[in-house]
Amino acid sequence: MVEEKRILYEHLDVPEIHTFDVFRQHDGYACFEKAVADYQPDDIAKMVMDSGLKGRGGAGFSTGLKWSFVPKDIKPCYLCCNADESEPGTFSNRYVLEKNPHLLIEGILICCYAMGIETTYVYIRGEFTLGKKRLDAAIKAAYANGYLGKNIRGTGLNVDIYTHPGAGAYICGEETGLIESLEGKRGQPRNKPPFPAVEGVFRKPTVVQNVETLCNLPFIVGNGVEWYTKMGPTYGDARFDPPKPDPNTGTKLYCISGDVNKPGVYELELGLTCAELIEVAGGLRGEQVKAVIPGGSSAPILTHYELDTRLDFTSLTLAKSMLGSGGIIVMNETRNIVDCLLNIMKFYAHESCGQCTPCRWGTPWVRDIVQRIADGNGRKSTITRPKFGIAENGRWGDTGETEDIYEDLDLLESVANNIANVDTMTWNTICVFGIAVSWPAVSYMRKFRPEFEATIREGKLTTLSVEEATVPPEENYAYQQRIVPRELE
Amino acid sequence: MSEELIQIQNTFRFTEENQREFDALIGHYPVKEAAMLPTLHLAQKQAGYVSPAVMTYVAALLEVPLMKVKDVVTFYPMFFEEPVGEYVIRVCHTLPCALRDCKGVLAHLKAKLGTDVASETDLGKGTTPDGKFTLMKVECLASCDVAPVIMVNDDLYKNLTPEKVDEILDNL
Repeated sequence: MVEEKRILYEHLDVPEIHTFDVFRQHDGYACFEKAVADYQPDDIAKMVMDSGLKGRGGAGFSTGLKWSFVPKDIKPCYLCCNADESEPGTFSNRYVLEKNPHLLIEGILICCYAMGIETTYVYIRGEFTLGKKRLDAAIKAAYANGYLGKNIRGTGLNVDIYTHPGAGAYICGEETGLIESLEGKRGQPRNKPPFPAVEGVFRKPTVVQNVETLCNLPFIVGNGVEWYTKMGPTYGDARFDPPKPDPNTGTKLYCISGDVNKPGVYELELGLTCAELIEVAGGLRGEQVKAVIPGGSSAPILTHYELDTRLDFTSLTLAKSMLGSGGIIVMNETRNIVDCLLNIMKFYAHESCGQCTPCRWGTPWVRDIVQRIADGNGRKSTITRPKFGIAENGRWGDTGETEDIYEDLDLLESVANNIANVDTMTWNTICVFGIAVSWPAVSYMRKFRPEFEATIREGKLTTLSVEEATVPPEENYAYQQRIVPRELE
Repeated sequence: MSEELIQIQNTFRFTEENQREFDALIGHYPVKEAAMLPTLHLAQKQAGYVSPAVMTYVAALLEVPLMKVKDVVTFYPMFFEEPVGEYVIRVCHTLPCALRDCKGVLAHLKAKLGTDVASETDLGKGTTPDGKFTLMKVECLASCDVAPVIMVNDDLYKNLTPEKVDEILDNL
């Protein structure tokens, strides 16, 4: 039985930890002082690279690698802290901002020291009023105690932190959307390249990091790389010979919500399985797990056959899903997947920024198709077509059987795949919002096709039992293609 | 700027306190335009909504064309272009809240306030006749562990039931 063990966020629930004095009593800013006293900036960048820290915001990109792209000779360079947490199912940044904002400031200071950055913007969600209040107060206290401003603690380091409130747009969590928004424009993502590390906010090199990623830095510096890499699995990337190490090190703040008894934020080492996490969160509320969304609403859904998937960046990617921001939503046997998809598609249709045509028109179209199915007006053809599959001779071909044509399901897949193709992983949009739409749309439909078909046939929302609603593993495209990575010895 | 625009602009001014806050804000950025969102938040707090007067004023302050301000205001859901009620009630209706019956909370609020839900193009639809409340649906408020949630102006209320909603409204 896995239990929550807080390591990085050990002090998160200490009363008044958001004040400077209490934070100092719990060794606050000690890691920053150690960083400045013991290490050169390049040493810290190397430590972050060696630690295998991956960005916690969603893409899971190596932080050390991102830092290495920043040109050294162009100044000023900026740090943008992404606190625009809007992915449905994710709420860890809110916890950190409200409970321990000084930890974030310490992380920012270490990043600034390593990268020679003097100005940081914390782009904080407009709805996070308490979080912004706490962070503003923490920044003020840090200035008053000489941990921010000019010549910090006599080290000659200058760092300023400013908070910048967002105004309710989901797309501003995308790093270039965030940069546009920070510049005072519509939050419409930019074409890449140039990547923000080369040309970001105010056309200067910019490091964009999630709150949680920055909160890892004090511990990497304070306890050393070896201590950090012991947490979480390191896989061998089998595409290389010998297998190249693929670290999934550290802990993650898993946010679990939906049908569990104790929803909340749990800090656990990366690499536990989905079923274990549900146990940690007090078990399932209901009889049986129907589906789990493993990484915020844009991640492809997992069926109850896939609950042994380990929740880390590599395992989920190889299982054709993603860890994303670590927002896990659990659904029990009473839930209707068509209804859930409708809810999510309404979200994406509302949040599309309107810049690229496939997304601007495609997202409402997908929503309308799902709405039509949920309303009981889903289209089904009166004719049938030959069913293709593994034929009698053991090869792909005509099986001799016929199948019904569900026009709306074909249309749904076609429209979604034309926003972004989930099989080839190519998108026809500027940013990855496109894939965030078609991933859920296509995966829900393919993995819970019987429920969609039943809803169309019956002409009303029809909830099937878990076994009936789920496509069996042998026909589940993701289950068939999934690879379980092996840990390096 | 045309005579007409100057006249519209003159109907809105920052209070002295807000002006001080704005002066501090503008120093955070290398270009004035970047202060757009915080400035609009500040102006909306003072005026209640972003009227044409507010937009022209902000455009003049930040030295950008009026169109750029309008561009931003129409993009972000948190800026209101029409007057709203004294209390803006935001009901989260994204998946984790939907799994915990946010529909019941919304239906209860609708019945209790006797108003419909505001749409983005018609805020008046969700505002009570006395101008006290505006009811609107919003996307995920990032509090899925304590779902269903609503926000009343700047305050978040968690784990709601119809009884709790009554209590909250009575205490406003």
